[in-house]
Amino acid sequence: MADATALLTLAQWLSPAFPVGGYAYSHGLEWAIAEGRVKDAEGLRAWLEGVLAEGSGRTDAILLVQALTVDPAEISELARALAPSRERLLETMEQGAAFSATTNALTGADWPAMPLPVAVGAAARSLEATPEEIAALYLQAFAGNLVQAGVRFLPLGQTEGQKVLAALRPLILRLAAEAAGASPSDLGSGALASDLAAMQHETMDVRIFRT
Amino acid sequence: MADGSDLLGLERARGAARVALGPDGKLLRLGQQGSAKAFLPRVHGPVPEVVFLNTSGGLTGGDRLSFAVDLAPGVSALATTQTAERAYASAGGEARVTVDLSLGAGATLDWLPQETILFDRSALSRRTTADLGPGARLMLAEAVVLGRAAMGERVAQTTLCDWREVRREGRPVFLEPLRLTRATLGAGPACLGPHRAVATLALVADGAEDALGPVRDLLSTLAEVEAAASGWDGRLIVRLMAADAFPLKRAMAAVVMATGRALPRVWQI
Repeated sequence: MADATALLTLAQWLSPAFPVGGYAYSHGLEWAIAEGRVKDAEGLRAWLEGVLAEGSGRTDAILLVQALTVDPAEISELARALAPSRERLLETMEQGAAFSATTNALTGADWPAMPLPVAVGAAARSLEATPEEIAALYLQAFAGNLVQAGVRFLPLGQTEGQKVLAALRPLILRLAAEAAGASPSDLGSGALASDLAAMQHETMDVRIFRT
Repeated sequence: MADGSDLLGLERARGAARVALGPDGKLLRLGQQGSAKAFLPRVHGPVPEVVFLNTSGGLTGGDRLSFAVDLAPGVSALATTQTAERAYASAGGEARVTVDLSLGAGATLDWLPQETILFDRSALSRRTTADLGPGARLMLAEAVVLGRAAMGERVAQTTLCDWREVRREGRPVFLEPLRLTRATLGAGPACLGPHRAVATLALVADGAEDALGPVRDLLSTLAEVEAAASGWDGRLIVRLMAADAFPLKRAMAAVVMATGRALPRVWQI
């Protein structure tokens, strides 16, 4: 179990107020909403379930857990090679760079710019928390950010949005537990429509989000 | 054969084929074992064409197959497979396939295998690894089809781990581990949606992203496929999804040609 200091530190680092600019990235969701692929709370839950269980959620959780123990430079290289599109690389690198810069300033560490899950894993090495707990909090922050993107652009109230996030909790816990026991050879994704959406976003004429 | 049931009782297949082309583009070494064959048909195009074949007729649990291409520095070649690879229902264990591509400095390889067809209850683990020397250029095209829609085949269960890794001078530059399971098939709009045929084309070469404009122009004209492209830092990646193999493959062929490449003669479009 995480000690109270570790819990508060992770809650701070993974809060939407932490200056990594997460609100600027939709992970392709903006395109899916614009195209009518995601229309309501149920559609948003289904989309996020796929992204979490079969796509970036699962992948990021595995990378984060690896970065807790393996040389982050090595995991960074893997994470960069895994980027399915230019904007996905931008999304993970920009947020990761901001995350490392801010946590370095808070902790006195000296981590370079790295993809976000790797940056979080590297910084969290100093915390008394289990890999499973760290990955679960990371996944909840990731999902929460996309729920907010949905709330801003769908006819979807804040309470409905929070219900979607709460409904994802069992999945988040399962993915975190699996990631804690995974190795790099377990990496794999089948969220192909989500990857395609991220590419389609690059050529949208009118766009609010950076990805 | 309409399905894999008549293969299940047979002995598990083993095969390994390896082709090495020397600096003059001529065959330097040809190794063939078991069910794997490789040949170089006489071609009139500018580059040699290597065709691999799995004579066992398909893959099932316990099968082991490997193909390898080794290009000397500066050599250009195209490599493909004679037919679509079929992964049949597994009675136990997974089929394992490895594809090793090695490109010397400045070599060019278009690895354009025909599609992989996954049957219900298939279990396939494939590892495609490309090692690129300085200045080498690789095009990789991988298509996976869930059953044959025209034959009314429905795939409810499969286990696919299709690891595609490109390294340049030992460092990973492109990694796409496609993972499809029963859960993925039912996972909704962010995963396969209504599609049952998916493909990735990856061009890894200095300046690869320069082809992004023409490729996007082409993609916008294609019917019956959902497709998009992205390019950055020596990479051009195209993703395609369709209801069935035919429109997917037709679109892949168009993309290959839009990047100024020739199609393997065995591709039937």
